[in-house]
Amino acid sequence: MKTIHLFILFLILALAQLFVPTKMILNQENILETGIIYKFKTQPIDPSDPFRGKYITLNYEARSFKTKDSVWERNETIYVYLKKDSLGYAAVDQVSKVILEYDDKNYIQAKAKWYRNYTDELQIEFPFNRFYMEETKAYDAEIAVRNRQRDSLPNNTHALVYVKEGEAVLKDVIIDDISIKDYVEKEN
Amino acid sequence: MGIILILAHNWDDFSRSVKTIFAFLPLVIGQLIIGYSILKKKGKIWKESSGVFLFFAVGSSIALVSQIYNMPGDISSYLLTWIILCLPLVYLLKSQALAVLHIVFTTYYACVSGYFYGISHDTPWWYLVLLIAVLPYYGILLKHHFRSSITSVINWLIPLSVIILMGTFVNNNDTYGYLMYVLLFGLFYNIGKVPRVNKQKLRKNGYLVLGFLGTIYMLILSSFNWFWKDLLNDISDFNSQELYMSLILFFTSLGLLVYSYINKWLVEVNLFQYVFILFSLIFFIGMNNSGISTILINLLVLMLGVMAMKIGSEKLHLGILNYGLLIITILIACRFFDTNISFVFRGLLFVGLGVGFFFANYAMMKR
Repeated sequence: MKTIHLFILFLILALAQLFVPTKMILNQENILETGIIYKFKTQPIDPSDPFRGKYITLNYEARSFKTKDSVWERNETIYVYLKKDSLGYAAVDQVSKVILEYDDKNYIQAKAKWYRNYTDELQIEFPFNRFYMEETKAYDAEIAVRNRQRDSLPNNTHALVYVKEGEAVLKDVIIDDISIKDYVEKEN
Repeated sequence: MGIILILAHNWDDFSRSVKTIFAFLPLVIGQLIIGYSILKKKGKIWKESSGVFLFFAVGSSIALVSQIYNMPGDISSYLLTWIILCLPLVYLLKSQALAVLHIVFTTYYACVSGYFYGISHDTPWWYLVLLIAVLPYYGILLKHHFRSSITSVINWLIPLSVIILMGTFVNNNDTYGYLMYVLLFGLFYNIGKVPRVNKQKLRKNGYLVLGFLGTIYMLILSSFNWFWKDLLNDISDFNSQELYMSLILFFTSLGLLVYSYINKWLVEVNLFQYVFILFSLIFFIGMNNSGISTILINLLVLMLGVMAMKIGSEKLHLGILNYGLLIITILIACRFFDTNISFVFRGLLFVGLGVGFFFANYAMMKR
């Protein structure tokens, strides 16, 4: 094969290699700019991924939904419709297996985890349960939040999530009105 | 990687756009170096090392972007994207190191999506596509760089990878899974016997060694009567993924055997090459009668042991001769777990085997 042909083929490949992360970024930026913001009450715990590094897993308070419908397959795609409670935090309004025709309600595409028969509750796995942190801070964050919860003050740890047409981007995790990253530094 | 580690410490202090630039930086640098080395027709080492750099740069760039935006995405889809984006580099740079990386990461991807996904694991069909995609390059290596060490590494990597991953193609019918493995080892043994591959030293012929050891291991396992009793209880479904996979493996092995016959590669009768056919027959007999199958398998293993000893003594190869003796010893030891024989007899039999080992080796040394 001629060098120039080889080079053109490589250029196409290089563009594809650039396209994938760029597409990911544009998609996320679009949601951050035009999506609706929700506050999800949460608790973090600290695991890690071999390639992507340390993160905290977020256990949302709004991760279960009472329903009489008991037929849900594990990892089945579901559509979670959201509302806000009296304090302004996100709550689940409705869960459906198909997209419903609402103009005024936002939804998130999520996965069904399991159904608890004795409480009639469906457990939901949201697609934004990871918050990446710098290597040394993830564990400290977990400890900080645990200590914070031991105080008599009410739990106000929450995730800021932007939602648009089924997709969601987790922007930050907030404790006492400041970002968890700053909170950990302040505590140390 | 080093740069990433150094940056990682101050990671939280950077703004999103700065982080994004850092995510793209290694990718663009890697691409520029490769573009330069293609245009300037740089040498092999240059291409190999820049190819490996770009491979990891693609992975780190996707990883960093998903980290910046807290995208969870399961690890298998991340690995799949990464592998697909780097596959063409194997051919564009004719890079052996990238071929090895491709096989290793493809295996890792398939393990994650096939084995580590808890109860509801999926069959990783992409694994087959990705493995087949690298075969043309492997063919070129076999043709032109037959004796290079990388080719022998791949001669081990491919069969090992398939052996590890075959289990992910078994859904519920474990017993058919067993048949699949015997057929796979039969196929590997026959590939290892193709003259071009077989001309290599034994330690460079992963197909032959793994096929040989695997076949014996599976046969010893199935020489127990409980295996065939379980089979009678288990088998019910003829319309299963496992049976179709078994059929594909059977006919591929058979095709290779016929091809070897046409090309007059089968100069001497080697029972190991036909084990997969015999086992398949015994397997289907076992569906109706467990007793007959148990006896047949034991006879087959015994014959294979004798056969290995024969090959060993003909080739004056002590290793193969002792392996034959070992097969017979293991077979006899296993039968002791099945049946109640007095300890005196057992003792005598094992002393006899030891003497047999000694004399066989002694006779061989004298020759």
